[in-house]
This record gives sequence, C-alpha cells and structure tokens, in this order.
Amino acid sequence: MRINMANARPAVLRILWSRFSWRHWRTAPVSSALLLLILAVGVAAFFSIRLANRAAVASFQDFTALITSQSDGVLSSPVGTLPDAVLAEIRAVLGNQPVNLVPVLEASAVAPSREEHEAIGSRPTFQILGLDLPALVNLTHSADPSQRWSLTAKNESGEKSGPGLWPVMRQPASIFISAALAARDHLQAGSSLALIINEHPVTLTVLGIIPTNPRQPAAPANLLIMDLPALQQFTDKPGQLDRIEIVLEDGPNRAVRWAKVKAQLETATTTPPRWLVAAPADRQASAALMTQAFRLNLTILSLLGLLVGLYLVFQGLDGAVVRRRGEIAILRSLGVTSGQIQAAWLVEAAAIGLAGGLLGLGLGWLGAQFAVQMVGRTVNALYFANSVDSAAFAWSEALLALTLAVLASMLAGWQPARVAANTPPAQIAVRTAGANYAGGILLHHRGLGIAFTLLGLALTWLPPVRLAGGGRISVAAYGTALCWILGAGIFAGLLLSGIGRLLHSWNLDSVRLRLAASQLRSPSGRHRLLVASLVSAVGMTAGMAILVGSFDVTMRGWIARTFQADLFISSDGAQSASTPSRISPATWKSLLANPAVARANVVQVMEIKLDGITTLLIGNRLAFFRDYARPAWVSAPDSEAVFDPQKNADLVIVSEAFSERFRRQRGDQIEIMVPGGRRHLTIAGIFADYGNERGSVLVEQQQFTNWFGNELAASVILALQPGQDAEALRATWRREHPGLGIFTSAYLRGESLRIFHQTFAVTYALELIGLVVAVAGLAFTMASLLWERRAELATLRALGTRRNEIAGAAAGEGALTAAAGVLMGLLLSVALGWLLIHRINKQTFGWTLQTERPWGQLAALAVLLLASAVMVGWCVGRWAARLPAEREE
Amino acid sequence: MKMVRPNILPRFRIYRRVCGMLLVAVLSGIFSGHGEAPPPAAPTEFAVPQPGRQFVFPRDHGSHPEFAIEWWYVTGHLFGTNAGRYGFQATFFRRALAPPNSTNSSPAPAFRNDQIYLAHATLTDQTAGTFRFQERLNRAGWDADSATNTLAVRNGNWSLRLLPENSTGAAALQLQLTVGADTALNLELAPRKPLVVFGTNSVSRKAADPAAASHYLTFPRLAATGTLTLGETNQSVTGEAWMDHEFSSSQVGVGQVGWDWLSVQFFDQREIMAYRMRRTDGTTDPFSTLAWVDAQGAISHVGPDQFQWTTLAKWHSPKSGADYPTRVRLTAFNPSTGKPETFTIEPVVADQELAGQAGGISYWEGACRVRDEAGKEIGRAYLELTGYAESLKGKF
Repeated sequence: MRINMANARPAVLRILWSRFSWRHWRTAPVSSALLLLILAVGVAAFFSIRLANRAAVASFQDFTALITSQSDGVLSSPVGTLPDAVLAEIRAVLGNQPVNLVPVLEASAVAPSREEHEAIGSRPTFQILGLDLPALVNLTHSADPSQRWSLTAKNESGEKSGPGLWPVMRQPASIFISAALAARDHLQAGSSLALIINEHPVTLTVLGIIPTNPRQPAAPANLLIMDLPALQQFTDKPGQLDRIEIVLEDGPNRAVRWAKVKAQLETATTTPPRWLVAAPADRQASAALMTQAFRLNLTILSLLGLLVGLYLVFQGLDGAVVRRRGEIAILRSLGVTSGQIQAAWLVEAAAIGLAGGLLGLGLGWLGAQFAVQMVGRTVNALYFANSVDSAAFAWSEALLALTLAVLASMLAGWQPARVAANTPPAQIAVRTAGANYAGGILLHHRGLGIAFTLLGLALTWLPPVRLAGGGRISVAAYGTALCWILGAGIFAGLLLSGIGRLLHSWNLDSVRLRLAASQLRSPSGRHRLLVASLVSAVGMTAGMAILVGSFDVTMRGWIARTFQADLFISSDGAQSASTPSRISPATWKSLLANPAVARANVVQVMEIKLDGITTLLIGNRLAFFRDYARPAWVSAPDSEAVFDPQKNADLVIVSEAFSERFRRQRGDQIEIMVPGGRRHLTIAGIFADYGNERGSVLVEQQQFTNWFGNELAASVILALQPGQDAEALRATWRREHPGLGIFTSAYLRGESLRIFHQTFAVTYALELIGLVVAVAGLAFTMASLLWERRAELATLRALGTRRNEIAGAAAGEGALTAAAGVLMGLLLSVALGWLLIHRINKQTFGWTLQTERPWGQLAALAVLLLASAVMVGWCVGRWAARLPAEREE
Repeated sequence: MKMVRPNILPRFRIYRRVCGMLLVAVLSGIFSGHGEAPPPAAPTEFAVPQPGRQFVFPRDHGSHPEFAIEWWYVTGHLFGTNAGRYGFQATFFRRALAPPNSTNSSPAPAFRNDQIYLAHATLTDQTAGTFRFQERLNRAGWDADSATNTLAVRNGNWSLRLLPENSTGAAALQLQLTVGADTALNLELAPRKPLVVFGTNSVSRKAADPAAASHYLTFPRLAATGTLTLGETNQSVTGEAWMDHEFSSSQVGVGQVGWDWLSVQFFDQREIMAYRMRRTDGTTDPFSTLAWVDAQGAISHVGPDQFQWTTLAKWHSPKSGADYPTRVRLTAFNPSTGKPETFTIEPVVADQELAGQAGGISYWEGACRVRDEAGKEIGRAYLELTGYAESLKGKF
C-alpha cells in the first residue's frame, strides 16, 4: 500500500507518536535502550572510521599554504628535484611581471632515540619545510600585516616580535616551531630542539613561533620551518628544490594573469621538459587519492556493525508490530487509515535511527580517538609519514552518519511498517497469532538464498573499478560478499529449522532441550533475523581471520626469505616506508669500505609517475637482491641478464603490485621519465612483494645514480664476511654514526611482523564490534521472544516447570540459534576468506597470498560465541521466568 | 667609459644623503629582532672611502661589495598622455653582512647570507589623489643582485640598469617597477645634466671619524620617457627624475630623532638638495645643509644658519599615528645671487606615507609642488620626512 500522505495529517501522527509509539518504547526502557545502543555501536564504528580516515588524510596537508596562503600554481620537476638554478631562469622568463616565486624544500626529522632497540615508527615524525625566510615578507603587499610573515614583525604595541633577519641568516641550525609544539614541549625562542635529519644528529635553536595566518588552519605540532639553504645543507641536497610555488600579487583578474604566466612558463620549458607547471598541488587530495582504496575498504568493513545492527532494528520493529497488533486493530477500528499507520511506523523507525545515530556520534567520536592512531600507523606504514594523533569532529561526517542511520533504520522498518499497515483489523485482533508471527518474510525463501549465492558467484568474475590515482576497488567482489552474507542468512534460518526438527525427532528426555527445540522447529521471523545477524558477524569476522592468517603465513615466509643479509642500515629518521630521509654517499661509502663487509646493496628510491600514477623507482644492486632478498617470483626472469650490471641497462624487475596496478607483464615495456629524458625499459621479471601497494620498479643502482646524478641512499644492506659479528659491528657503527638506524636481520624480521600486525589492528577492532553487536542482538532478541511468550512461560511454571528449567530452555534456544549462526557463519567465512584473498586483496593491493585457515582461532570464535549465547540465554531465561502472564510492556 | 673628476667645493660639507640614513636605519631595524642589534662587522673588514678616488664609469655605477652599504635612489614626476600627473620613487638598497670572500660567505649561491637587498617603490597619482607603495626584501642570490661592472641592480621583478650607449653615444638608465598587481612603470631615464659628486675630494664625510664617510654620486636631472600601466589603462609618460647612488661602510652617530630631506627641480633648470637633521632636543643639527645646483651643474651649498625651514601644515597618518609636517616654507640664501629665496613646498597628495613591513620603519616621502611667494608654481620636489612615527634614535 502506498502511504497516503494527505491523510497522514500531522495532528494524527502526533497523537500516534505520543500515544502509540513513544509509549511503547517508554514502557520497555531496557530493550529500547539496548536496541538504540546496538544501532549506536554500528553507527559509531562507521563514524569513527570516517573521522579517523579524514584525520589521516588531513595530516598530509600542504603546510606551505600556512605561510603563503593559496598559491596560484606550482612548478616542479618531471622527476626528482629541481635545481635552484632554474629560479633565475624563470624570473627572466617572467620579466618584470609581479610574480612571487617561492622555492620549497621539504624534509622529515625525528627526535633522537632514547632506547637501544626502539620500535620502528614509534617516534613522532616532524615535517620540516624549507623556505627562503627573508623573502616571505614579499608575498603580499596587502595592508593587513597579519596576512604575511615578516621576520621583522611588530606586535600591537609596536615592539619587534620577529627574530630579525640576522639570526636567521647567520645561524643555519635554527628553526621556527608551531605554537602547538611550543605549548606541548614548553619550548620558546632560544630553546634547543634535538633532531635527526637524514643521518645527521643536530641541535637546533628555536628562533620563534610560526605565526598564525587567519585564512589558514593553525600549524600542527609536527611542523618545523627552516631557512631553505640551511635545510639544503642538512639534507645533503645542495642546490635542490622540491618545488616552486607561484604566488601572484593580490588584485583583479588573477585567473587571467595566472593563465598568462602559466602559458609563458610552459612555452619556456624545453623538450624533454625540465619543469612542469600545474595548479596548486592539493596534497590532501593526492593523499586522499593515494589512500582511497584503503580507506574505502576500511569504511566498508566499518559498515559490518551497522549491517548486524540493521538486522536487529528490523527484528526489533518486527517484534513491536507483533506486540502492538492489538493496538493497531483498535486504531484501525477508530478510523486511522493504513497509510497513517505505516507513516507512524516509519516515523518510529526514523526516530530510532535518529536517536541511535546521535548516540552513535558520541560513541564514534570517542572511538575515533583510538581508531585514528591505528589508521594513522597503517597509513604511515603503507603510504606516507603522518603524525596524526587525534580526530576532530566533522559536521559533514556526522551528518552523513546520521543520515545513514536514519535511512537504514527506515529501510529496516519498511517491511514491519508495511505488515502493520496491511494486516486486516480482524486478523491482527486475534491475540494468539502471537509469538510465532513470521516477520522477515524474505528470509523464508530458499530460492532467494540460492539466487543470492549464484548472483554473488557471478559477480566474482567482474574486474575491479580502477580509480584515478591508481587505486582499485573491488566493487563487484564487495557485491559478492553482500550477496553471500544475505544468502547465508537465509540458509541459516533453514538450518535452524532443520536443527529444531532434528532435535524434535530425537524425542529428547530433557525438558530444556525439548522446550528449546520446540521453538526452533518452526522458527519465528525474529529467530531467522537473529541467526542471519549472527551469520553475518561470524562470517565476516572469521573471513577476516582467514585473510589475516593467510597474510601472516605469507608474510612470515616473505620476511624469512627477504631479510637474509646481516645488517640493514637507514637514516635513524626513517620511520616509515615513505620517508624522505637519506644516507649521504660519504657515509655509506665509508661503511662499505669496512673490511668486515663482504657484499652490499645500496638502495636508492625515487617517486616517479607512470601513466600519470605515482609509483616507486628503486635503485638496487640486482644480483645482491637475487641472492639476499631471494624474491618469490610471480614471473621469473628467463635469463640472468637482468642481474648483470653489464647487460641490464634497459631491464627492470617489477613487483606484483606494480604488475597489477599498471597491468604490465613480463616482457612488456615501460617508459619512465628521468632528468635526461625518457627511458624505455623492459620488464624482465615480476616478484611478490608485500612492502608497498603502489608498486616498485627495480633498476640497477648504478643506472639510477647515472640518471638522477645523486647517490643519496634510502638504505644500505650488508652481507658480512664469514665469522664477522653483526651485533658487534652494529654497536661500533651506532657509536660512530648516532644518526643511523642499524638493524640486524633478526630484529628487522620481528619489526616487520609487528608493523604488519599493527596495520591490522583497526580490522580486529571492527570485527570485535561486529561480534559485540551480534551478542547484544542475541540478548535483545531472546528477551523480546521470551517476553512475547510470557503467557506460555507462566503456564509452564503453573505446570511445575522450574525457573532454572525455563532458563535452561532459553539457554538451549540461544545456544542452538547461535550454533546455527556459527555453523553457517563458518561456512560463509570460508567463502568470504577466498573472496578476500583471491579477489578483494589481490585486486586492491596486488598481493598473492598463500591461503591459511586458522582453525584454532575459528574454533575459539565458535566456542566464545556459543558460550556467550548460553550465558545470555540463561540470564534472559531466568529473567523471563519471573514475568507475570499479563503485563503491559 | 668616461672619467669624472669630482667637483671640489670648499664649503660644502655634505653629511650624507638622507635616504642613506634611512637605509641604515631600516636595515639596522630588520637585521635585529626583539630590539637586539646585529653583531657589528669589524669596520676594518669593509672598505673605507678614500679621498681622491677616481671614479670609472660605468664600473662605478655598479655595485661595490667591498663596502657595507650601498643604494640607488630614483624619484621623479611624470605626465601621462591622458593628462594625468604622477610622482614615483624607486629605491634599491644593498647591505653587506660580510665582506666578499669572508668565512661568513654563504655556500649556497642562490641563497646567499652575506648580503641583503631591500627596495621600495611608490606611485603617486595626483589626478586620482592616490598613493601606491610596495617593498621588497631579498637576500642576495637568485632574486636580488647587483652587477659590479655597470649599473644593473634588481630586486624581484624590479630593476634599474644602465642601457648600452646608443648610436649618439648617450647612455640612459632603464627602470622597471610594479606596485601591486595593477601598476607597472617602465622608464628610460636620460641624463639632462652631468653627474655630480658630492663631498670633498670624492669623499662625503659623515662625522669626525674619518671612516664615517661615503662616495656620493647624483644625476640631478634625468629626462624620463616610458609607459605607465594603471589597471587596464596603458599610457605613455614623460617627465623628469633625480637619481642618487652612494656607497659607504659606516653608520652615522647618534643624537638625531629624524630628518627632513628635500630635492627641488626648478623649471629654470636649477636644483636644490636640502636636509634638516632634527636632534632629540628639537633643534636643527649643525650638519644640516642645503645645496644649490645651477643650470650648468655647478654646486654651491649653505649651512643651517643660512636657510630657514618652517612648517606650515601637518598631515596626520591614520596608520602610524604620526603627524608629518608636509607643507613647508623654505627660505635659503643663494650664493650665486647673494640673495635669499623663499618658496613653499606642498604635497600633491596628502597621504604618501610608506608604512613598511619589511623595513619596519614608517616614513613619509612624496611628490610636491614648489610655489614662489606669489603662489606661482616654479618647480617640483620630493620631500622625505622621517622620525615622526617613531624616533630613529639608536637605529643608525
């Protein structure tokens, strides 16, 4: 029936709300609160993940904007850094046009370690922005002094508040810090700050506080600003820039002026281009693009709690329809139309969604403070350095979560509302139709279950959707997961009925079991909904456990193979895979010259773009890589030429993630841009790599050095002469080079596994939420069912059944329902595990995993859930055994 | 290349070009923070102006990095084809923190830490009654430098350079300026009078200390032609300009709170340069002076007892709160006629205050009309008023 909104007049709805809906929920405060809480937890999981994702991306912002406000454009090198000699050239190209060129160099730094063996990634990373500090005052001629940063600034009383030019130009080891860091670490002008930049331990003097630009957010605590030439020195990048921001003078026709400047700059560049002119790099957008697939996966996972919650909202409203059908009959007799009844139920569903959503926002915001650290660590390990430690409340995300909660609740309430509105008064007035009223009618259809399963199977053949930044999202595979979860829910209802019939046919002696089985022989709609919610929670949790287990086994194998060398050396400032910290050639050459060293690999890393998508070009001594990293080949090279520096000039090895991302196979050519122009390279082999999902192209290190003209190493890997003590050498070198992080293979293996597990922390948390919601749902449903059977329970008691027997029967009913859910859930998990490993993970990250089913974990999950069901059933049963036969809710 | 023998004027005791003091004040201000003075470079590290220096051009139009302080300073009055009347100012300051090849020299050629460049540009639109001002501050390097073999100084997109001699052998200067996004000035400045060198035997003494001295070169009258872009309007302009170039290594003594400086270009081809040093007690410093340049370029000067500087009206700045005496009457003894002359200086626009952020010192410097006692306009002037927003005591 269509809702007749014309009839659903507000006055009638108001009365229906206060006398019909609200009264019902008010008189059953515990179950109402439980339902709201279940929904709230689901919303909270979603909201917290959204906030955490947002915070992680927001931490990767363009800090230059704090100083320059918005640039009109950015000039960067097609690959690598820009020589600062181009600045004068660009000024000459622009003639006397009023254009500010703001050269920028960025670096990262960390505080020196305090412990000998500190967890990698545990120290906060600072981002250092190198700017030509004296020139910043030129950035605008606006009359508003607050809009620019002058080293010679004055405060309101006319006294100098800036440090002046002299200290900046004469003390390279000096730095500006944010107000947040000053407050947090009690620093002020003149304080010292010890840092490690590249491999250099340095003590910097705080010159002042980064001023606040009213048009920009406040500088974060991890932002440091240094004079550009000083940073060039500290980072061993003399004469190099990361980019040049172009800022036009304030004034009219800015867009037209920028178009002219852009055209001039583009015309002036050579072939191959020495610089690229682009709109201001929205670094948050690029960070968002880079992590898009990861965040989307996490968001989908976070919907698990909400999905389980929705089953319960559905059955909560379904139960309410059953319990209040007498009232519905009276209302219908009094002339309230079916449209108004349906509208009232939908309003009620919306109100539940709103209340649960609001509660969820609060819980979610709290949860986000924990989630953000887990998400931040994962992003740090996989994508880019960030030091996010808190998630701000975002109204747009709150609105989204709330809308989702209300819409989902209304969707869940749609079927019960329709049933309430459609049932004729005469039928619904029949009181005994009671507890076995079959809501969730769709869950009865075996054919629908089969259809969902087959549809899911069909969807597994579809490829992933490819995103602009190179990310892929397995939309079809997620569709498969949803189909299979729904299908398994339907089959679980059938299984429940089968279990009931089987037990009944066994003619059991136990009163408890007979009572329990009698309820399940022909399970109510709410039994089916309950078991479906359990199936979804168990299936997804166990499926993720299979994925993580498979990952774990694969990673252990990979780590054992990869870390064969004796010592692994990087800058002590390197706290993540994406660190810009490097080791200077002088330092790594001195290490290599040590007679204890037998063979060495010098790893150089550069971000490059291929087909407009970022990936990593890695200089490697490929023979060393073959011998000591022992790659697992997805496609092995068909000759040894790629490992011979004399023969591998145009040969590369790529990672499996690269192969998936760029759809390139062995023998294919790739074209990359290096400072000297384009290079055509042939893929000689593809190896399995779990280090990054952006993909890696490995070239011979000498080739890399020739192309880029620098020898800065991201890491150095050493194999020692037989009989050499790696620990002893490490201790010696740590003393000589306190800015280097030097690790033995054993330590690095442990750290790699730890970081790997850390990246799954948020996944575990979301699974736990799904399970908690499912167990809470069990309690809620059992209480609801037993409440409806209170007359029956009273009769049983009158017939001499003891309270413990009733409780036992309830425990049995709960356990059997849970058993059906667990059994079907585990079956589902095997399917979902396959889907996650072979479709979603492979399509998203390009990683092939060895399947491993952690039976011990799955058994523990089953036992935990069954035990919870028994306990919850028992408690609810004892409570229900005391219920009077007649009582208004 | 030509050699110029400086005029030797027995009674001429030019103290210094006042905008040079401004440079010192400004740069002293910007180098220090929180009231802390910069560590002084040892005087012996930099060159000291020597009497009898033979100036060699175009080399001496260029930069002298062996001296600590140097500036090129152009002011002028322009007439547009749209009947508009304009005043402009362009100053390029250089301040060395370390002598060339010292241990303090920067290892990064693009971002040097041994020299800093400050520049000011203004445009006064008399017709519209507006005043535009912008400043630039850059370290020596990719965006600011000055040639050592000829005049070629630039700061950001502003530049002043000596053009190659044309077929007639006449050299001219080229000035390129912008103020904000919508004002651009491109001028060619051709000398109408020969260069004059102030001081005694090529040296302009600053104080009793012989090291406190400068070399001081001036083009008192340059013919200006070029284009002026104001917003969407592009027009040709003509007019006259004045240019100073001075280099030294010393800083002047203390005791003054500021100064009033004036350059006048009379329609009869004579010029005046005058300044009044104001002491903390309100009196005029004995180093104040007034110099006449006759139509042929000969200089004669009179001391503070021979000219009278009277304030007629003040303008209150809403930005800095300063009260600037922008309308003055000047009565000066003219040695060539043996008679005093009186005229009135009045600004073409009241607000011509340079409220700088980079320099940190506010001052007033603007285009003015010059009238005789009968009220007839007899020339044009640029007037500079410093030390009114805050005392310059201790800053130079």
